[in-house]
Amino acid sequence: MKKVLSTFVLSLLLWSLFPSTGTAIPAFARKYGFNCNMCHAGFTKLNDFGQRYRDNGYQIPGQQGGEKTVFDQGPPLALRTSAGLSMYKQDTRTTNSFGIFGLDLLAAGVFHKDVSFLLIYTPRVDEPAGDFNGPGTGNNPAQLGGIESANIVFSNIVENALNLRVGRFEPAYHPFSSKRKYTLFEPYEVYAFATPTNSFVFDDNQMGVEVTGHLAGGFKYASGLVNGNGANPDNNNAKDIYLNATQTFGKGDGQTAGQRVGLFGYYGWQPVDLATSLPSPTGETSGTNNQPFYRTGIDGSFSYESLNLGVLFMTGTDNKQLNTLDSTKDYMFTGGFAELNWAGFMNDRIIVSLLYNWVRPPSYDASRKIDAYTAMVRYYLGDWSAVNVGLHAEYTFRRTGESPKVDEHLVAFVVDFAF
Amino acid sequence: MRMITIVAVVALLFLSQKVLAGDDPAKDPTSINVHVLGPEKLGGLPTVPVPPGNPQTTAKILLGKQLYFDTRLSKDNTVSCATCHDPAKGWSDAGPTSAGIKGQRGGRRAPPVSNAAYLPLQFWDGRAPSLEEQAKGPIQNPIEMGNTHDAMLRTVSDIPGYLEEFKAVFGTGPMTVDQVALAIAAFERTVVTTDSPFDRYVRGSKDALTDQETWGLEIFNGKGHCTACHWGGNFTDGRFHNIGVKPTDPAKPDLGRFEITKDPNDKGAFKTPTVRDASLRAPYLHDGSESSLESLVEFYNRGGDTDDPKLDPLIVPLALSTAEKSALVAFMKRAMVSLNPEVAKVRPIPPSALPK
Repeated sequence: MKKVLSTFVLSLLLWSLFPSTGTAIPAFARKYGFNCNMCHAGFTKLNDFGQRYRDNGYQIPGQQGGEKTVFDQGPPLALRTSAGLSMYKQDTRTTNSFGIFGLDLLAAGVFHKDVSFLLIYTPRVDEPAGDFNGPGTGNNPAQLGGIESANIVFSNIVENALNLRVGRFEPAYHPFSSKRKYTLFEPYEVYAFATPTNSFVFDDNQMGVEVTGHLAGGFKYASGLVNGNGANPDNNNAKDIYLNATQTFGKGDGQTAGQRVGLFGYYGWQPVDLATSLPSPTGETSGTNNQPFYRTGIDGSFSYESLNLGVLFMTGTDNKQLNTLDSTKDYMFTGGFAELNWAGFMNDRIIVSLLYNWVRPPSYDASRKIDAYTAMVRYYLGDWSAVNVGLHAEYTFRRTGESPKVDEHLVAFVVDFAF
Repeated sequence: MRMITIVAVVALLFLSQKVLAGDDPAKDPTSINVHVLGPEKLGGLPTVPVPPGNPQTTAKILLGKQLYFDTRLSKDNTVSCATCHDPAKGWSDAGPTSAGIKGQRGGRRAPPVSNAAYLPLQFWDGRAPSLEEQAKGPIQNPIEMGNTHDAMLRTVSDIPGYLEEFKAVFGTGPMTVDQVALAIAAFERTVVTTDSPFDRYVRGSKDALTDQETWGLEIFNGKGHCTACHWGGNFTDGRFHNIGVKPTDPAKPDLGRFEITKDPNDKGAFKTPTVRDASLRAPYLHDGSESSLESLVEFYNRGGDTDDPKLDPLIVPLALSTAEKSALVAFMKRAMVSLNPEVAKVRPIPPSALPK
């Protein structure tokens, strides 16, 4: 049985490596024979065409119904990984290491007109050093195994105006995708900021349902109902709700063309009293004494020629009963980022990005105040019909806390590879 | 919780109905042909599709060629098919729009005849489902050939040379306009512009393109978004798009495909032309409003010229640099031009060589 399985897996791999064209390429680009920059302003950031393609359920807008389905094409599989050297300095201590900094296995495609899917599996990636204990979650600092995304999309229920996504997905309340940003090491800090007790992290993908749509005049909306605690089964019976609305002025979708402004809000509940038993065979628990929290913000994306400036400001409030640091007050914080990107030189072969992140927690939690400055440059090798190799250099200076302040420097040189 | 369950069940029922129902049958059969076309990879042209009702024969192709170049099909003997679909001008004309009898000009320029055999629908608005149907149209268009089918048949059937050829091709019996169309369409199916530097490049001759043209191809298939519509062997999806062309007369805009389908989504939409041999047939767009490949690329780079709510979602500003635009133009200017000798050497048949 093991032999049959291994033969099957090997065949699948070979099949994906050598499709009918004889070239190994990512799932969507392979399907059409497109260059990656049809949809990306240098992968992984989506350009306006790519955003509309995603919003249309991975179908070229206006060509749904003529799309090849997963049954008519090669295996809809793709892979992305990045490997290289990272160097880290905190005060006087320094480290450096070669490493694999991520691995995504992707499958995506169209089942039927206006019915499509996306699956992203991130396998566990261990550091080579067996004696290293990872930060808090075990002994694996690079990547834990898990399903990052697994969702099905029903598009054009009402043409352009109503699409439905069900499963685990990157929620549309992220005005800027943290999964498709240029920097590999520096996150959007305010997305990743975790407050006391609350298992909600803005950056997480979520499980639930989401409706999205494009309306007339450049207006887009998204709204969803989700568990609110990332990949996990829900820990209470109250579902979280969110809404995102954007308006784009001028042509484009506010990605790399047009000027976009938006509002977003997330309202959720977290249990103060966690259930001590497991009432459901599917994993969820019925925590009680649910207390509210919310995140709201504004964002803008402004483009001029090959330059794009993205800005986001967010406030967060957790009910005081979720605040283990000071239970007399709601936990309130603000944060945001400003990101200036330039994409250019012959089919956007070069990307330059400057990113400033800040997070301002309450004064009694000042040790988690963050200011981070990042510079990044990428160069993409060759036009290999959707095989993409990016040479990536990134530097971040990150300062946390007030007294004492902790200064960190991270430099990385990475080959970012997708096919 | 109960509310969520009810909403979920209703949504799933609705969606399952949508999936099980499949595609809505289009009312217009010609539009079905177009909308089942899926994006195909760029590459060489496949074998020309020939309808079973009009098989290719040497005699029929020759007859069609003679008719194609014969001005006697028009009312005043001044306009032939080739007047507007001139092989020397990329099988189109000098434009900006096409001139018919007495110098009358229509609102659109002549779409190229080259590779039209691959298109499921003909004319800028797709009103003809075949080359045969298309060939009949201009003869009786008052500002093109200005004739009637009956008058044209009387003229042609008075020419003994044609009578003999029609008899040889179609047998005995009265000459019909359908036979004229069959012959012209048979000739047009031979106008296939293959063997361009691009074709040689994809066949493996990597030096068939210059470095700049190779960049251009990459941009054509990437940042330029050109292949979103100009895909496949013929560099066209055969579909209809509103790309933001500013109407010449805003009070009476050309509504394009909408005139045929009456679908509001088709307002201002015109058929995607092939890019093959594009550099031979300036000016560009359905109304000839862009005079050169350079200005055409600028047009797309700014995302069209209108804020029409029906603007195709594929049209977005591209932020191409000067070097990227030049590379794109270089690719289209030389690398897409056919070197196929059979087509390249097609010359008009002079009146003296036409049947007498």
